Amino acid sequence: MQRYLIVQLARFGDLVQTKRLLRSLAGPKREVHLCLDRSMVPLARILFPEVILHGIIAHRSHGNAWKTLLENRPIFDLLAETTFDTVYNLNFSPLNFRLSSLFDPEIVRGYKSKNGQDLIDSWAALAMRWSKDRRIGLNLIDFWSGYIPRPCAPERVNPVAVPRGNGIGVVMAGRESRRSLPVPVLGPILRTAWMKNGRNRVVLLGTTGESAAARALIKDMPPDLREKTVDLTGKTDWSALVEEVSGLDSLLTPDTGIMHLAAHLGVPVIAFFLSSAWCHETGPYGLGHTVYQAILPCLPCLEHQACPHDLQCQSPFSTPKFLRLFSTEKASHALPGLLGMRSRLDPLGGTYSCFAGDDPDAPRRAAFRHFVADHQGAKGELPSKQEDASFAQTFYRERDWLLPSAQKQTFPF
Amino acid sequence: MNNRLKILIVLPMYGGSLPVGEFCVTALRQQGHLVEVFRADAFYSAYQSFEDLRITADRLDYLQNSFVQLISQSVLAKVETFEPDLVLALAQAPMTRQVLRRLRKDGVTTAMWFVEDYRLFTYWKTFAPLYDIFAVIQQEPFFTELHRAGQPNALYLPLAAQPDFHRPLDLSPVEQRKWGADVAFMGAGYPNRRMAFRELLHFDFKIWGSDWEGDHILAPYLQLNGARVTSEQCVHIFNATKVNINLHSGIDANQLVSQGDFVNPRTYEVAACKGFQLVDKRGLLPQAFAEDELATFESMAELKEKIAYYLHNPTERNAMAHRGYARVLAEHTYVHRMRTLLQFTTERIPGWPPSNESQDVCRELPPELAHDVSALVRRLNLPADVGFDDLVWAVRQQNGRLTGLETALLFLDEWKKMYN
Repeated sequence: MQRYLIVQLARFGDLVQTKRLLRSLAGPKREVHLCLDRSMVPLARILFPEVILHGIIAHRSHGNAWKTLLENRPIFDLLAETTFDTVYNLNFSPLNFRLSSLFDPEIVRGYKSKNGQDLIDSWAALAMRWSKDRRIGLNLIDFWSGYIPRPCAPERVNPVAVPRGNGIGVVMAGRESRRSLPVPVLGPILRTAWMKNGRNRVVLLGTTGESAAARALIKDMPPDLREKTVDLTGKTDWSALVEEVSGLDSLLTPDTGIMHLAAHLGVPVIAFFLSSAWCHETGPYGLGHTVYQAILPCLPCLEHQACPHDLQCQSPFSTPKFLRLFSTEKASHALPGLLGMRSRLDPLGGTYSCFAGDDPDAPRRAAFRHFVADHQGAKGELPSKQEDASFAQTFYRERDWLLPSAQKQTFPF
Repeated sequence: MNNRLKILIVLPMYGGSLPVGEFCVTALRQQGHLVEVFRADAFYSAYQSFEDLRITADRLDYLQNSFVQLISQSVLAKVETFEPDLVLALAQAPMTRQVLRRLRKDGVTTAMWFVEDYRLFTYWKTFAPLYDIFAVIQQEPFFTELHRAGQPNALYLPLAAQPDFHRPLDLSPVEQRKWGADVAFMGAGYPNRRMAFRELLHFDFKIWGSDWEGDHILAPYLQLNGARVTSEQCVHIFNATKVNINLHSGIDANQLVSQGDFVNPRTYEVAACKGFQLVDKRGLLPQAFAEDELATFESMAELKEKIAYYLHNPTERNAMAHRGYARVLAEHTYVHRMRTLLQFTTERIPGWPPSNESQDVCRELPPELAHDVSALVRRLNLPADVGFDDLVWAVRQQNGRLTGLETALLFLDEWKKMYN
């Protein structure tokens, strides 16, 4: 029996995006464990029933620090007593560094602590370097599964997305409100989508915090649309959310956890990516998804920095021209500052092709993917004409070449 | 001064002050302080490797200097992470002027324990003004020179012994035979010693230590083929030898007894082992030991005479050793020295030490954790009223895999930083 542990202490969306790594590790005579925040356990139980879950307190859930220790300790004891072949510690967070102290550093990939010294895996360090050039980007799902040299085929991650017959879902906002369209912008888009989808049912999704936005959206709706709209913000637990999303024809959403859930369930996503959201990093994974990606020179920006441009990346979504592109999906209706992107898969993983607009970074991105595939030992699977040695020059460090690298260990099975 | 401090000790890349630094670490921990160590000696082999390059001398100089700068930057990184109340550097610790200026600018208090002869090791002039406290093993005129160089906080801090290390041993007959002799010397082969010891060859005499190469007369008396003797082996030698010769080093082969001022560590260490020694008279020795606590000599004739006398008078020899032993325990341990250093720093540096606001971790624990955390505190040799931050740092100092409780404490520390 081989036993693997994944430590994923981030939130909803990141949990879903751990899927390719989980699926790659799963198999006969293999046991896959997942350590995650306690609040995510019910969802993980639904999404990954074959995985053994260890819920700890990682997120802020109360103010009692000792309670955190008391509740985490028995789980840490159990993890320390369990013999794992490899621990995949996924989050660049002090919590993850400290948690890794339970294990022999030699078996930990990602982020670890060795005799009190924090260390970053060479694969993660490489990703940190390319992340400074976000216009290229690698999907987070493929980055995490990249800890193993031969992850499962991208096609095995999510089902091909097809309409499921129960109307349109609308995610009211993500955790970062700047990455979401304001209600006055979202309203006309929803109306267009609704008419395009045969004036079927509409369901509004989100947390209690988004209920006010949902009410504002409903208030501005024409009566016929309002009649068909159900507001479920703050009213769904994980189970109800999964059930609701699984039946949708499509999901209108910014970059959110529900978006990744829809992709997981094979529900077509129509996503609006702006501000810090970049579809080549965290876009919906699999076939059958559409992303409208804002593409101004300042994008993608950083969430924690104030926008000096008065959120100009929202502008393309608020024009009538956008509604025309959204409605027709024709290249001829492309508009400045925006790309229409269609999800696709290549041997490396999930990526996007432009169907409307001119993506100036596409050639570089293709070359970058070639570089990553080469690094991962899958060079022959991508067209050689895309090769560009400059990425190796830029992203490899002298010590990658000079010193032993944990990342180049062979896959244990 | 009851405040529990965070102290970073910077050890040199090599040399005699290395073991002194290790004893400081132990002594400060025994006083309940949280001590982190920068072990520069781990980098010494890399530094030496440059000398095998066969490159031009100027290039070698550049590379080795760059390497030292890098090591010094590593000390700075350690300071920034550990945030000590005091950085204590031992002589030759790799602290460059740039780093010392930066620490001063950042308000980090620094101290140097310069356990070298200032007349021979003159580089102190450049560095002394950059430390907040400069502790030395000599007195005037060194103090005046330090003041003139811009160092107002000079402290006389003689060397010492570490009683849980330098201690009387119950040696087996085999050990007694291996490490013992009527007369022995442990130390390096300085010119004055080479000449002096030629006069002792009619005794049952052993020489221990390194740097005795090329002396055919003394070679038959040299033990372990002149290999370096470890600190642990020294303790065996001091215990097993009837008369330990303690002749301070000198580079003048014509002046066998140098009549210098400072007292070497061997003086305190032999006494702490309850060993008997004959030590050459030193200017600062009377401050440390009374005449009936330590046997001294001023000339080779007196040395030979006293060796013979004490070899034939074991009762007197042992009584003298007992009195020296008692004096060391009472006044000359590294705990005493570190207390003196911290007290002096308190007096000289305004606002130092900063108040420790850390709460007693065991007092605030829920009952179901109290037993296990208290046991952990004891295992880590921490005081029972240790604060949470100090406990976390002590847990993090450990090597290897940690337990669930230890990891949960480290995890909680980060959790609190993130969410409180």
